Amino acid sequence: MQIDVAAAQKLFEDIADQEDPNVANMEGISTLCERLGIDPLEDIRVLVLLWKMGASKKPAEISKDEWMQGCNNLQVDSIDKFKALLPSLDTGFLDREEFKDFYKFCFQFNRQGTHKTLEKDLVIALLPMCLSGGRVPSDRLQSFCEFLETTKDESYSKITLDQWRSFLDFCYEVEDLATYDESSSAWPVLIDEYVEFMEKKAKCGKK
Amino acid sequence: MVLYSQASCGTHSSGTLQYFLIKFRTCYDMCTQRSPYNWSRDLYQRHGETIEQYLQNTVLPALNDKSGQGGTILLNELKHRWNNHQIMNKWLKKFFTYLDRYYVKHHSLPTLEQAGLRHFKDVVYENVKEQATGAIISLIDEERDGEIIEKSLVKSIVELYENMGLGGASLESYTNDLEQPLLDATRAYYARKREEWIAKDSTPDYLIKVEKALAEEKARVTEYLNPASEPKIRLVVEDEILQKVQMNLLEKEGSGCRVLLANDKSEDLQRMFQLFSRLDNGLQPMASIVESFITSMGNACVEKRQAKLDSGEKEKNDDPEFVKSLIDLHEKYLGVIRETFSGHHLFQKALKNSFEVVVNQDVGQYSNAELMSTFCDRVLESGGEKLNDSEVEESLDRIVQLFSFLTDKDLFADIYRNQLAKRLLNQRSSSDDAEKLMIAKLKVQCGTQFTSKMEGMLNDLAVGSDQKSEFDARMEQHDTKLSFSVQVLTTGFWPTYKTPEVSLPANMTKCLEIFTEWHDAKHQKRKLSWVHSLGNATVKSIFGKKSYDLQVTTLQAVVLNTFNDGKTFDFNELKKILNLNDLTLKPLMHSLSCGKYKVITKTPANNKINSTDSFTANAKFSSNMRKIRIPMASLDPSHNKNRVEEDRSWTIEAAIVRIMKARKTLKHQELIAEVLSQLSFFRPQPRDIKKRIEALIDREYLERSAENSDMYNYLA
Repeated sequence: MQIDVAAAQKLFEDIADQEDPNVANMEGISTLCERLGIDPLEDIRVLVLLWKMGASKKPAEISKDEWMQGCNNLQVDSIDKFKALLPSLDTGFLDREEFKDFYKFCFQFNRQGTHKTLEKDLVIALLPMCLSGGRVPSDRLQSFCEFLETTKDESYSKITLDQWRSFLDFCYEVEDLATYDESSSAWPVLIDEYVEFMEKKAKCGKK
Repeated sequence: MVLYSQASCGTHSSGTLQYFLIKFRTCYDMCTQRSPYNWSRDLYQRHGETIEQYLQNTVLPALNDKSGQGGTILLNELKHRWNNHQIMNKWLKKFFTYLDRYYVKHHSLPTLEQAGLRHFKDVVYENVKEQATGAIISLIDEERDGEIIEKSLVKSIVELYENMGLGGASLESYTNDLEQPLLDATRAYYARKREEWIAKDSTPDYLIKVEKALAEEKARVTEYLNPASEPKIRLVVEDEILQKVQMNLLEKEGSGCRVLLANDKSEDLQRMFQLFSRLDNGLQPMASIVESFITSMGNACVEKRQAKLDSGEKEKNDDPEFVKSLIDLHEKYLGVIRETFSGHHLFQKALKNSFEVVVNQDVGQYSNAELMSTFCDRVLESGGEKLNDSEVEESLDRIVQLFSFLTDKDLFADIYRNQLAKRLLNQRSSSDDAEKLMIAKLKVQCGTQFTSKMEGMLNDLAVGSDQKSEFDARMEQHDTKLSFSVQVLTTGFWPTYKTPEVSLPANMTKCLEIFTEWHDAKHQKRKLSWVHSLGNATVKSIFGKKSYDLQVTTLQAVVLNTFNDGKTFDFNELKKILNLNDLTLKPLMHSLSCGKYKVITKTPANNKINSTDSFTANAKFSSNMRKIRIPMASLDPSHNKNRVEEDRSWTIEAAIVRIMKARKTLKHQELIAEVLSQLSFFRPQPRDIKKRIEALIDREYLERSAENSDMYNYLA
């Protein structure tokens, strides 16, 4: 079905950047969120929406082309239609493969400029948001964040895409940490150290 | 018939030829008459019957009579009867040859001889064999206990058994009726002996008994048993008295393998080695003990070093005592393995394994790699150890052997190169040939790439000395009043040195220009940079009325030159004039004003250089010696640990990329294994390899496979 192109365009113009009308950055996106009645800092559905719209070229922004394409794909051209879309943005609807893709997007979209990594503190805040809803056992999520917070290793002050993605795969594949075998593991060293951290914790707990 | 009665009543084989011929003729006639007068069949039958009857009625009762009177008596009787039978059988066969030739052949019957044997077997042998066997075994056991027995008697009976295996060469009867029971008895006998010995004998004593027993059993077979029994008996004995108590013997307290090693009991160890070699996998347990023993000896050397350091001794990068102790240990056990263990590969491996553990145990601040390199430095520098050529070669040979066990070979190479450079540039190498020799040995161990930089260094020096006379000629064309020579170093071969751009006096600068001009004409494409932190000079100086030859570094010479004509400068002024920084100038000034030869006077006079100090030539300087060397601390660090680490990261990454490029896709564990197999000069932890893999994933050389989280794909 054909959407109202002009209406969609107008919506974009409302949130576009002052200096570059072809791009809407986080300021504009926040405005959109307000109009939709969702909190951009806490609500994961913002990211889901941006992902579905295909805002993948550059982090923290959506281009006009992406917007128009996205509106067309989602069949939306008004705030009401956007609002109607909101329930479907629950990540629970995504299967494993789709979720992996979304999860990757979460990382990529939150980068600063041309940086390839995310700051550890951001990761600690972002992970629970992305992985809420039982995708990953909550105790695993919690303990991993605890590990990140307490580790003194300088090299983990920035987290790479590989480490980010591996964490999810690791949660899927390794349910029981007792079965983890570092000597044969291809998981990033970060994960090895996390498991080590958990083992130490378990030992201290037993005392 | 007459023939038979004659045959049956006598065992006299005194048949004269005539007697024989008569019998033969008679037989012949009987067999060649025409039917119904052809008596072949009857003759044959009667032959068998007669023998059988004789055996049944005469021989067997005689034997039964003797049973129960002791083994030897029975055996003697049996021997007697068997001999008789053999004779009888032979003569009958001779008489009735014609039967054999035609009738028997024609009807495919057993020959007379075979039939005769068969009868003996069925009638006599089968009935006495058990007793005979028992008797023989008792005799053998008696002999084992040291008694003298009638060997020839036993031998004869054994021959009987051998012959009872009908069908030509079959040893069936011997094997089943004598050999098998004998083996069982042997086993029981030695099991008993074993229990007896193991309880009270020390291992060496026990082994002597084993050796003796094995020799005896071997001799026994030669003397009166069938050769086929030799391996079987041997296996039984080895099993009972060696195999079953192997670990017991090895680990016996007070006399086991470890104790023998500790006390250098080479004869006992050699015996142990030879005996255990007989067993399947008999040497591995012994080799393991040897390995653990040598390791503990090596560890003792390491602990001794640790104790030295703990007691507060100052740490240096030189510990010749420690290195020598390891070398001596290695040499000792090389010899032991060669002589006591016949150079067996399991023991060579044990030595290698234990040294790989010991040599890589670093203690204190300086790695063993460094200690070993410094050891070489001592051997190779002039005024170091006073050794003749063959001693030098021997020392180098041994240190290279020790080096072969080192994991961090790249670290050794780095340190060695630095020390080599120092020796070469300060002309402190005692012999060019010795340097080449060492490098050649390292090359044999590790390949060309390992030693290419070292060879490059030597080559630079050789080229320099070749071209020296040419440049000297050029220098003579100019009048600089300075005697000047240059050594050109190829970048990359040599360690990196600081190149302070010190301000040189005019006459020195001129020399540099002459050289640069000459050099550039020869090599247009090369760029020169001067390393003033190296280099030496002899400064002729006059203090008061005496003149001295001061042997100093280039930088020291430049400083001294500045203080001509009694000038005074403070520290900061000097910095400007000379264009040097604090890090360089401070040690420089220290060497000239705070050392043993204070050619420069420092105000205030103390042992520390401060930026507020002022300096002037020491007019009152004097010394008894004419030639004085004023040492200065080296400006460059001995070696850069970080650089070795960086090189390793790079080497690991290069290996990963190389492997993945060839294999395109590979499982994680296989990749790790491949990488480790390609790295010969150090051994990284798997985690370090993983970190490099992650770095390469980040730089998009590799990716994780989407299908299998355990695999990597190469990204072209």
